[in-house]
Amino acid sequence: MHGFGVALTVGNLFWALVGVVLGTIVGILPGIGPALTVALLLPVTFQLDPTSAFIMFAGIYSGAMYGGSTTSILMNTPGESGSMITAIDGHAMARAGRASAALATAAIGSFVAGTLGTIGLTFAAPVLVEFALSFGPAEYFALIVLGFTTISAVLGDTPMRGLVSLFFGLALGLVGIDLQTGQARYTFGVPQLLDGIDVVVVVVGLFAVGETIFLATQKQEDLSLTKVRGWTWMTRADWSRSWKPWLRGTALGFPIGALPVGGAEIPTFLSYWLEKKVSRHPEEFGKGAIEAVAGPEAANNAAAAGVLVPLLTLGLPTSATAAIMLAAFQQYNIQPGPLLFTTNPELVWGLIASLYVGNVMLLVLNLPLAPLWARLLEIPQPFLYGGILVFAALGTYSLNNSVFDVGLMYGVGVVGYLMRRADIPVAPAIIGLILGPMAEQQFRRALAIAQGDGTVFFTRPLSATLLTLAVCALIIPALIKWIAKRRVTAP
Amino acid sequence: MRHRQCGIVKVDACIGLTVAALGGLLALGLSGISFGAGYDRIGPRFFPYVVAVGLLVLGGWFLAAGFLRKQAAPLTTSETGMEAPVNWTPLIYLALALILNLLLLDRAGFVIASAIQFWLVARAFGSRRLFRDVFVAVMLSVICFVAFSRGLGLTLPSGILEGIL
Repeated sequence: MHGFGVALTVGNLFWALVGVVLGTIVGILPGIGPALTVALLLPVTFQLDPTSAFIMFAGIYSGAMYGGSTTSILMNTPGESGSMITAIDGHAMARAGRASAALATAAIGSFVAGTLGTIGLTFAAPVLVEFALSFGPAEYFALIVLGFTTISAVLGDTPMRGLVSLFFGLALGLVGIDLQTGQARYTFGVPQLLDGIDVVVVVVGLFAVGETIFLATQKQEDLSLTKVRGWTWMTRADWSRSWKPWLRGTALGFPIGALPVGGAEIPTFLSYWLEKKVSRHPEEFGKGAIEAVAGPEAANNAAAAGVLVPLLTLGLPTSATAAIMLAAFQQYNIQPGPLLFTTNPELVWGLIASLYVGNVMLLVLNLPLAPLWARLLEIPQPFLYGGILVFAALGTYSLNNSVFDVGLMYGVGVVGYLMRRADIPVAPAIIGLILGPMAEQQFRRALAIAQGDGTVFFTRPLSATLLTLAVCALIIPALIKWIAKRRVTAP
Repeated sequence: MRHRQCGIVKVDACIGLTVAALGGLLALGLSGISFGAGYDRIGPRFFPYVVAVGLLVLGGWFLAAGFLRKQAAPLTTSETGMEAPVNWTPLIYLALALILNLLLLDRAGFVIASAIQFWLVARAFGSRRLFRDVFVAVMLSVICFVAFSRGLGLTLPSGILEGIL
């Protein structure tokens, strides 16, 4: 309750609004996602009070989920990976002249799921905090390893490609002064590297530069925007066919987002599959079934709320956006984790309360205005990417006022382009970069406590369980994804 | 650039070579890390060692997968992946955009460096309307400079336009 006192001040309402508007915009525009946006805003928000900054970041995160569905439905090009599934039936509905009904069920479903997900976060977080307080360094290390494997397994087509990306991130994370002993590692005598490679440099390089090079060298395809014909509101039948998928999508999305299995993508696949399974007219799927928009859209928004559970209570990011938010916490010298709830209750509860507020704002912004937002897509591609690169350079330069950082960012961008060409997902690299040093620290701390006894990770039951799960995680999600994808693409 | 030498078919072998090379680089760099004060049982060399070994193993896996084609994972997005033909003209414009930006940022200042970058990127994306592009490029750069340096207090290099802006 106290959180609402924080979230409802004029200043914070303003930042929440800025966040959701920005989030909607970047969700709609192809090529920019929430992770890149938050990364670019980090240097700018430095002067801001952390609570306001995080309220804005959370707004960007949930706004992007709403905006992504608009692009999927109207253009069949998802602005966000969580909206990939929405594109199938959403765009079919749009072609059949039912774009506004699809947009409405997506927006209302997102609202329902976002709100329920936030309620879930409100109640799950304190429970998890209690649990997490008993964690020692060994458990944290095991947890991070679990995060590593799940993220590599889930993102990308094969776990091996995810691991390549993860290890690239881990290697980047080694650069700089070793936290324990003060020894410089892999700095090649370059003083700018002593502080390590900033996560902003890597995120901006991979997402902005890598993506821009990739798109510029691809065949240019025509972007055709389906015009929203008339304003056919959701019919009674639409409502009765939507509400159950909303709830089922939420039930799938939140727990999967909250468990460290990463991201909003999997629950959307599962939701589509489930809806098709329980539907009385499965033959409509793929040709514009409203359930296939309602379910996955609810699932990705619920998952977005779920992702905040491990981030806030354990300091464990499970998506690229969560990773950059963790970097933001570190910039403010705040360590997310169980202690955050006692040392910084204003921030945590203010942030959570702002999610409720942001959801209401997003519903108001998106329900009547979706066609207007879609006009953003009329920005010519050359200008869009020209602008992205200018902002990328601006944001990176402002980190330390150093051209060296900009050069490093471009270098990482070229690597990102090659990764994209080779079908290697970039998100695990970001997670590796930010969690690698944490894993090392916890590992060495655990060993120091156990006086060098390496078996400590396997003799402590919780740590042993987590490590076992980590091994399973490499195998199981790949299996689930494979099955879900097959079900979705199978005729 | 190792990638260009590999044929487009052997994507996995390319990944393997690059990853193994990175692992080798890390392994070579190990000797450059001095041991810590000694009271720490696991020194600052341990994690780099693990990462280097991990990269070498992954590199080996991909090399094996690349040469024994049967084991290679099929690419689901093959038409956007390595199999797609590369368009070289935009790449040259983009390379120019990035390199000139780096060279000009401190010397000529943010506005000029960004305007040139914007224009080159727009060209890379196929825009050929010179006047319109340059106009938008200059406007955007000036607005960004003013908004971020005056409005938000960031220090952007003003370069040779010092005193004018």
